[in-house]
Amino acid sequence: MIETLILLTIALPWLGALVVWRVGDDRPTVQNAVAVGFALASGVAALGMLPLAKPGTALSFAVGGAFGDFTFVADGLGVFLAVVATVVGSLAVIFSVDYMRGEAQLGRYYALVLFFIGAMAGLVLSSNLLLVFVFWEITALCSYALISFNNDDPKAVAGGIKALIMTQLGGIGLLAGALLVYAHTGSYDINVFMQQAHTLPAALLTVMAFGFLIAAAAKSAQFPFQTWLPDAMEAPTPISALIHAATMVNAGVYLLARFYPAFEAVPGWRTAVVVVGLLSAFLSAIMALVATDLKRVLAYSTVSQLGYMVYAIGAGGVFASQFHLLSHSVFKALLFLGAGAVIHAAGTRDMRQMGALGKHMPFVRNVFIIGALALAGIPILNGFWSKELVLEAGLAHGPLWAYLVMLIGAGLTACYTLRCVWMVFFGAPATHHHVHDAGKAMRIALAPLAFGVLTTWLLAGAFGHLLAETLPFHEMEAETTLSVIEEVVTAPATLVALAVVGLGLLAWWQRGVLKGLLYALRAVARLAEDSFGFEAVNRGVVRWTQSVAEALRPTQTGILSWNVLGILAALIVVALILVLGA
Amino acid sequence: MQWSFPMIVIVVVLGLLGIGFYGLLIVRNLIKVVVALQVLAKGAMLALVLAGELAGQIYIGDSMAITLIVADTIVAVIGLALAVQVRRHIGSLDIGHLSKLRR
Amino acid sequence: MVIVYLLVAIGVLVCALQAIRTSRLLMAALWLAGCSALVALMMYLLGAPQVAVIELSVGAGLVTVLFVFAINIAGEEVMDLRSLLPRPLAVVAVVAVLALLGWIMVPVFNLKPPEIQSGRFFTAIWEERAVDMLLQIVIIFAGVLAMLGLLAEGAPPHTPHEE
Repeated sequence: MIETLILLTIALPWLGALVVWRVGDDRPTVQNAVAVGFALASGVAALGMLPLAKPGTALSFAVGGAFGDFTFVADGLGVFLAVVATVVGSLAVIFSVDYMRGEAQLGRYYALVLFFIGAMAGLVLSSNLLLVFVFWEITALCSYALISFNNDDPKAVAGGIKALIMTQLGGIGLLAGALLVYAHTGSYDINVFMQQAHTLPAALLTVMAFGFLIAAAAKSAQFPFQTWLPDAMEAPTPISALIHAATMVNAGVYLLARFYPAFEAVPGWRTAVVVVGLLSAFLSAIMALVATDLKRVLAYSTVSQLGYMVYAIGAGGVFASQFHLLSHSVFKALLFLGAGAVIHAAGTRDMRQMGALGKHMPFVRNVFIIGALALAGIPILNGFWSKELVLEAGLAHGPLWAYLVMLIGAGLTACYTLRCVWMVFFGAPATHHHVHDAGKAMRIALAPLAFGVLTTWLLAGAFGHLLAETLPFHEMEAETTLSVIEEVVTAPATLVALAVVGLGLLAWWQRGVLKGLLYALRAVARLAEDSFGFEAVNRGVVRWTQSVAEALRPTQTGILSWNVLGILAALIVVALILVLGA
Repeated sequence: MQWSFPMIVIVVVLGLLGIGFYGLLIVRNLIKVVVALQVLAKGAMLALVLAGELAGQIYIGDSMAITLIVADTIVAVIGLALAVQVRRHIGSLDIGHLSKLRR
Repeated sequence: MVIVYLLVAIGVLVCALQAIRTSRLLMAALWLAGCSALVALMMYLLGAPQVAVIELSVGAGLVTVLFVFAINIAGEEVMDLRSLLPRPLAVVAVVAVLALLGWIMVPVFNLKPPEIQSGRFFTAIWEERAVDMLLQIVIIFAGVLAMLGLLAEGAPPHTPHEE
């Protein structure tokens, strides 16, 4: 049963991609129906796996000796992320029906989206590291192609190429780690590696641990790779929701959570993870505070919230980090899709040209505010519970200074969230002519997400149970929802955090009073607008890669005879090595 | 050294590989390129069968040769399809006219 | 026995050489078919009848039909026969490759034929080489798509009565 569901979850979106492509762009209604149908079917298959989750290998294909078996798992972590990818993904697809109406090349769009969703499900469900790498690269390819979907816009193309190059850097880390695992355990299987992790030499484990950290940081847009995600905002908005909430960036956090038990003991690794998470969370919170592009604010907030998850893993709170991932994917999908509706209606992404839109689009305003409050960490929305759990895990097992910085970050989050909501939906109206509320498909996608923001925290107990039951290496204890609630409510840390969040809100409210302080901090603001110089570093990496490629251009004549000569030359070298070696 | 059958087959294998490589290097007609690839693949096929024979693992050699036949046929199909399309769109089968890369 | 091998070998090499040398595409396809048939014969002599049959039907049959079909659509074309690569360079590269490969294969002559391991053709192909089978299916799928592409635009622009 579970074997079939695993295959369905991965194969249905891919099959859908082929069908959408074959349907052809001249029949958009059929394309819409096919894309929504396949995405929903795969979401149902993924949900069906939830009660059946079990530890260990669930499905295995023997493919001969070269690669090891192609194995798939259906444990809590994998199934949960597959559910997030397919369910949130299918909501993004439903939203696209309205958002992409009348756009050209709908077939390419849907095919890539479905391919993306299937690859993400495959990434989290497979336990053969080589397969994980393949799926990892497919998600990178799809994100590149979707970010550059408007390929006549040079900014979109540049953003796509940047995302591709940055995540490729991470892919190298993953591949190196996978090959090292294979070299020392003789198997690509993650579970085999977890069993033998403590028997491997320490130096080797260190290299792997940091290789995977680089891979995760690049994929999840963590420090110092954080700038590709804001540049990815050129994509159509449902794609942003897909990348930010359902698929791409979760992969890095997933990787860290998956391998946490193996690398836990590596000296310095946990501190490094904490620092990466902390810097990402804090710096991007500041950048979100000064950004004026609605989608950029949300992008920075994604980096920041992912920083919280990474921080939680570094502090040992795998459950807290995964629970925050769940909350985040729901409320961030809601925020992005809401922002999509706003942008679709207002025709601009600049928040300074919005203002007072709430009157014209009350539905979007209401759901957006629900999502924003969750992001800010206001009780009783899901973001509150999971963020408290993250902070508590950090206080209990992590260094105190990191906890304090994260606390300030929580205050900043509240501040920029309020600023964003205010600038878009309230305040002085700017000129807009034909603002309309969201369409039907948009509402269908937004409503369940808003409902989820209000309710997913009730799943804490079941979720903890799922993870604890099916992850033998992670040593987690299952708690009931009630005890989680009790723990959060009674902890003094909660009050502290709430006070800081309140302070953040107050800071925005009383911004007039704080003018002097703001003036003093304007240098910081200018730095933040420039991404603290990391933008330049990342741009440098991208430019260097491109100039190397440019320098290698003369070697590609495009004439077949010369290419064949190159192949022959390589053959001669290989044969020479064989002859001399023998 | 005796003039035995493995030796003859090896000479054929080397001959086919050489002719195939030489063809790939000098021909200019896209369809001839596919022909040269076919010759090359036949050399490899024969080598696999012979290797299976000499190593005593006939069945593995044979199954790999069959894999090669399938791959080779599809390569021919795709190569010819490309050639036909190139002819339609560019009006020539000459590989010298194909490259549009900046130099 | 050896004389049969020798004759077939000469035939294979002559056919292959002619397929490359001839300037007419149709003749090249026919020489290739001959080469393929003789290779199949050689496989049969080597004791691999299954492979020989498949090679004969697919290599000599199907592929030749495809060649004739494609040449029919694309048409013969008079073109510059000068190579894009200096010929001496090509000769040197090919000779170097052949010399090295030959050198690697030399130990084969001293090899005593080992015991033939027992095994069944279908076990070998379906169980031990499962990846290959999987990839073959993918490749065949790609081939079908390519054929669709080949036929997509219907009739070729140069029909006989136009000329």
